[in-house]
Amino acid sequence: MTRYCMVIDQRRCIGCHSCTVACRTWNELPNDIIYNAVMSEGVEGSWPNVHRNWLPTLCMHCEKPACVPCCPTGASQQDDDGVVWIEYNKCMACLACVNACPYGMRDKSNLRPRLHRFVQKCTFCRDHRAMEPDKEPYCVATCHQKARIFGDLDDPESEVSKLVGSVETVRLLEDLGTGPQIYYIPNLGGTR
Amino acid sequence: MTKNPAKMNPSKAAFGEIRHHYWEWIIATYLFLGGLGGGIFGITAIVNFFVYPDFAAVIQPIMAWPCFLAIMCLGLGCVFLVLDLGQPLVFYRTFIKSTSVICWGARVLSVCLIFGFVWFLSFIPWDWFAPVANFLAPARDVCLALAGVAGLCVVLYTGIFLSSLKAHAFWATPALPVLFTISALSTACAAIALSIGWWPVDQAFMDESYVMDLVYAGDPMAQTAYLTYAAVTEVKHLLHTVDVILVVCEIVVLLVMVLSFLGAGNKTANQAAHRWVHGSYALVFWVGMIAIGLVIPELMYVFAAESILSTVVAPIMVLIGGCILRFLVVYSDDRAPLPGEKLYYGRLVGDDAEFLHKWKYGENLF
Amino acid sequence: MAEIDIHAPGVEMVKSLCYFCHANCGVLAYVKDGDVIKIEGDPNYSTQGGLCCRGNSALLHVNHPARVNHVLKRAGEKGEGKWEKMDYDTAIQEVADRLNQIKEESGAEAVASAGGTTRTDDWARRRFLNQFGTPNGFHNALLCWIPTFMAETCVSGWSPFETDLGAARCLILWGMNPGASTLPGMHGYTDLQMGGMKIIVVDPRYSETACKADLWLPLRPGSDAALALAMLHTILYGGMADYDYIDKWCSGYDELMAHVAEYTPEWASEITWLEPDLIRQAATMYATNRPGCIQWGCTWDQIGRASTTGSHAIALLRAVTGNIEVPGGDGMPGPALNFLTDEELELNECLPEEQKPKQISRFKLTSWPGYQLISDNARRQWGKTLPTEWFCEAHGPSVFKAIITGDPYQIRALICNATNPVNSYGDAKMVLEAIKKVEFLVVVDYWITPTALFADYVFPAAGALERPTIVTHYGATDSLMAGARAIQPKYDRHDDYQFWKKLGLACGQDPANWPWETVEDAYFHVIEGLGLPIEKYEDFVNHVRMYFPPLHQSKFIDHGGFWTPSKKIELDSSIMRELGFPGMPTYIGTIENPIDTPELLDEYPLVLTTGGGFMPFHHSEHFNMPNLRYIYPTPFFSIHPDTAAPLHIEYGDWCWIETRRGRIKMRANVEPEIAPGTIFCPRGWWFPERDGSADLNNPFGCLESNVNTLTSVDAEDCDPMGGSWANRGLLCKVYPCTELDHEFTAKDAEWSIPGNAKTPGVSVMPSDQPLAREPIPFEKPACDREVPEGYYWVWQDGLVYNKDSHFRLDESGWLVDPKSNAYIDAYTGWRYDANNDCLVDDATGDKYTMDREPLTYVAGVRTYPGKDAPYEVPSNLTWDKELGYARLNDLMYIYDPNSGWMIDPETNVYHDANYGYAYDPNEQNLIDMKTGKRYSMSYEEITDAQGATAEPSAEAQVEAAEAAAAEEEAE
Repeated sequence: MTRYCMVIDQRRCIGCHSCTVACRTWNELPNDIIYNAVMSEGVEGSWPNVHRNWLPTLCMHCEKPACVPCCPTGASQQDDDGVVWIEYNKCMACLACVNACPYGMRDKSNLRPRLHRFVQKCTFCRDHRAMEPDKEPYCVATCHQKARIFGDLDDPESEVSKLVGSVETVRLLEDLGTGPQIYYIPNLGGTR
Repeated sequence: MTKNPAKMNPSKAAFGEIRHHYWEWIIATYLFLGGLGGGIFGITAIVNFFVYPDFAAVIQPIMAWPCFLAIMCLGLGCVFLVLDLGQPLVFYRTFIKSTSVICWGARVLSVCLIFGFVWFLSFIPWDWFAPVANFLAPARDVCLALAGVAGLCVVLYTGIFLSSLKAHAFWATPALPVLFTISALSTACAAIALSIGWWPVDQAFMDESYVMDLVYAGDPMAQTAYLTYAAVTEVKHLLHTVDVILVVCEIVVLLVMVLSFLGAGNKTANQAAHRWVHGSYALVFWVGMIAIGLVIPELMYVFAAESILSTVVAPIMVLIGGCILRFLVVYSDDRAPLPGEKLYYGRLVGDDAEFLHKWKYGENLF
Repeated sequence: MAEIDIHAPGVEMVKSLCYFCHANCGVLAYVKDGDVIKIEGDPNYSTQGGLCCRGNSALLHVNHPARVNHVLKRAGEKGEGKWEKMDYDTAIQEVADRLNQIKEESGAEAVASAGGTTRTDDWARRRFLNQFGTPNGFHNALLCWIPTFMAETCVSGWSPFETDLGAARCLILWGMNPGASTLPGMHGYTDLQMGGMKIIVVDPRYSETACKADLWLPLRPGSDAALALAMLHTILYGGMADYDYIDKWCSGYDELMAHVAEYTPEWASEITWLEPDLIRQAATMYATNRPGCIQWGCTWDQIGRASTTGSHAIALLRAVTGNIEVPGGDGMPGPALNFLTDEELELNECLPEEQKPKQISRFKLTSWPGYQLISDNARRQWGKTLPTEWFCEAHGPSVFKAIITGDPYQIRALICNATNPVNSYGDAKMVLEAIKKVEFLVVVDYWITPTALFADYVFPAAGALERPTIVTHYGATDSLMAGARAIQPKYDRHDDYQFWKKLGLACGQDPANWPWETVEDAYFHVIEGLGLPIEKYEDFVNHVRMYFPPLHQSKFIDHGGFWTPSKKIELDSSIMRELGFPGMPTYIGTIENPIDTPELLDEYPLVLTTGGGFMPFHHSEHFNMPNLRYIYPTPFFSIHPDTAAPLHIEYGDWCWIETRRGRIKMRANVEPEIAPGTIFCPRGWWFPERDGSADLNNPFGCLESNVNTLTSVDAEDCDPMGGSWANRGLLCKVYPCTELDHEFTAKDAEWSIPGNAKTPGVSVMPSDQPLAREPIPFEKPACDREVPEGYYWVWQDGLVYNKDSHFRLDESGWLVDPKSNAYIDAYTGWRYDANNDCLVDDATGDKYTMDREPLTYVAGVRTYPGKDAPYEVPSNLTWDKELGYARLNDLMYIYDPNSGWMIDPETNVYHDANYGYAYDPNEQNLIDMKTGKRYSMSYEEITDAQGATAEPSAEAQVEAAEAAAAEEEAE
């Protein structure tokens, strides 16, 4: 089996937003849709002993996604390889899934025509990889810092499974039980 | 003063919001109307089949008007729901997937609406409509039973709908469906009390002495009218009692839910509860919801029974309270923010920002 | 939202380079029917497939609806925004006629030109300006590398900017934030840091880079020079210098010891706000983790008065720790010796000598006086020199002041090439006035910027993907990276070469000086010297892409020293002294500081720093890209919570930031990103979504959030050496915008010279303003020898050099070419070829005897027409005195005394010297061409029975000839 996941190395991320823009550009997202925001609490601490971290996000492609069963139309679905995606021509934008997602990783664009809106989200670049199987999602390929690593967790030889096995990783809001498949290698934050 | 370096500075902590409020007044209104309409049908069915099983011929006509209101509420709710969709024209897709609460909600709402409407048609007294009405009349009991069951399902659904979305800590509590159910039934009682017997009963028959003469004279119409009048009074009285209980229950459940979140909920629910109790929603919550929506009408029900305060003012206030409850809950869709999420989205602009609309790819200005 | 299929039929892949900042990341562009359908980062380029926000937006940039696509001629008043579309060539002719008229009336120097950083290819512009005759071309060069480069070149002969980080143990990122400005670099630093290299970051801001540092020095903005001097003091007085290196390769050590005695960490502590121990720690970390690198940071050139002092001190830090040109240290590339440098494309010889002093700049290090000294030295040492573009330019702000005041003379025309000076130069209000006032303004740009709004003509510029790109760091390095254009420029857009070529020809310049049809042709000319088997520029891009000469380090050992006039690293720079500057870095404060200007503190208690790059914008561009702007829609400045609280400023509030020169508004980012009492403002902000013509006091909001409204370009506020103006360490105050006071009004837009919001207009003429430091008188030692005509004497090394070639006149009477160390005939310029004992004219390849008579060669064999045989002629041959070689009977073959064979001059086939049989290298035997018989090498006939082939084919013979020729070449 294939189980796609992403490891995000916060030690390397410098908050340049390249992944966000690469995603927006090549997935042709409307301007008000961001699949993979790079968030940060900013600089914290008391000067000059301060720290700062960036949290690159994207859909967590959960093991038990909250957004799939709540969809009344069947547009929101999950592939066998774990990728959660939306079949746009089945969606009617009731926003049940948007409200169900604990990570806020789904949205509909208000810049589309009023009667033609639908919910969008990260699909690990499902279409892109279908067309070019040896390529990685856009956010991964574009990252100068190589802070995003994509791969098959079920393949013991993949970099992601090596990392998840050998480095302490953290997942977001794990206690909600959705089984998020984005593994963060946390940064200590401050100047070392 | 020593400073805790781990603490975010207050002005930054107050800046920005997570992305939420995807559902706004339309959905709040829809939940209110859905609960109200479903509740009316449910109560009608209960009264008809369980409280006065032998008086269906009287009970059903007097409930036609409240049920007409229920149909209007459900219909309007559906319109709101469809309008809120990103693609209203394909609303029928909502019936497809059975794992979804929304899907079941839409189904029971449709059942309730359709059978309720058919049931109502059979009471339309216009002469030219008589053939249809008469044709439908035999199916009244079946229709009402189906509409009633479906209506109660709608009532339950409005609460489960929100509480199944576990991303929102304030919604994801079993208390919410209970609260919504009680509130829906309470508002339904109030609405019935306001509208029962208005139609098709002729008000002229309501002069008691005159009617009684005719009744004793064996006039069948007058007998019907008397029975109707008696039934209206009886049902009003019953529902008044029920509502007195429901409002007390609602106060209890509401306070249990809000105050437990306030004291013990997780950070997110706690935050919302603080907003209710002494934050930005406090005025609406305490004055609008608790005082106007629950406590004052309860006092009126109890201490001013039979007066206009109890029969008209209090039910209206209960309806207002029910509506406020839906708004407060729908707007309490707080999600646990990811680190930095509030700052990130707080810095973005709205969809109306000039630079988003100034240039259209494909057009060349120079 | 359909995925674009790059494998569809008809899609071609082009290897291109990004063109949105200096990093020039590798891009693969997929082209179909003349249009780019998709791009992606090139995983096989040095940038490993990475692309930033801007790089990913390249297609949105190429197709942006607000791009200038046609020539626009002003149809209304200046600034009205009414344009008439024009034919390109007609417009060029109109502009040329006007420029010629101005040249006629006021001299060529009345025409000036500003260029944008990495938004243009510069040599073509200088080629035009030199031929036109004006010295007044400029960029924001003085804020970006050039003063540093010049100071470093004074110290060690070139800028040691190519770090050898693979072997380094310590890296100082000083005033540099690669985490926001050079992402490919940051990737490398991160990898190396994870491998154990220490990173010290010097930045007043807790920048993207600082938060990954091993040691962070959050100094007071603008105090870099003091920190560098104190580190120098610590290293020298702490005994941590590399004394072997100093002993062998440096001069002026004792002077430097005495000079830095006063610059103690305690002294610097007050200026830099850093604990003395932290300064010592940093100095120790750098000095004891050798080898180490100090990466250049743009800050060095943006400090204003202390800019060059700071970079000079940092240059000495590298020198005393022995980190220059050693493995793992800062390497000096030097000019490219294997391909043409930008300088060789600039036609600097076309600029009349009398025009050079007219260049508008009072800052000698970066204009003709300093350039001339440094350039002549570079020619003497390297044999090639720096480009004049960037390294020898007018002082931009002084040009703008000259437009307004006519001082020192009136500038009448300005050509802005992909630059928006209103946002990118200091004192924006004054610059806006100059842009409005200049008599004739031509803009070549991608967008209608606030500057372009006032233009008489706007020409459309070709951008990323529409132009080929060569990266040579402005012609200052010996490596080269190349990308092709993916598509021809869209609409009427032209690349820079085409624009300047057309303008030059329309001005009447010699077509022979614009020889190349396309930029690609010119670039092919550049790389021809590499000797690669390629036929056009695209071949280089497709098959080679990057050229790196062998490793740089330790060249100085072969060279016998460094590339300064004294061949030592000059700790006390002789060129600096000759220019009237201190030879060693001498502290000077920022323009506004508590020590020198305490009277300002009451009104302006906060320190302002600005100028750094930030994602996702570049300089003042990309604010009109909705996809990027959405991520960063409004300007935010950083302020510490402890500073913000008493001012009642909350996160996100709009605030006024005010200096003596004016005020702007931005939103508050209240967090400890910067020290209490300090604020950081991002640069470049304007609002292209607005109607520019609606408010000509503040078109497109180009002043209201533009930090350059706050900066000063007064002569005394500029670096007296390099001319940089201050973006760092200004004094300011901050207060929240209120209901009544939140509009940027006409009053706020009032300009002034010198910069002072209280007295608008010109109150002191620019030339009357003093410089920050008076020149120090310097007298060259007297020449102690006789210098022949056409030669000059260099006081530092006491040697004599040729005026034209700058070759050293050796004691032997020969000239010495520093590129190859070859001896050159002083009369003819021909090189001595020791192998053949002859002279070679490298320009033509012709050879001459030592008596300067032409050498003749036939079939590769030297002949001696009219002479007696210079070698012993074998007895069976005869010497033909007329033809000058030995022959066999009456055969036309030429005897080659080196191989002993005869060569047929027509076919180059070898024949034996006894019978004249041809040699067949395939069969390794001989053929009598008359009879067709074959013979073994010992002249025994080979019969057919022995399996020899019959008549040799003509092909075989040609092959034989080629093989023989190749063999000879190999010898």
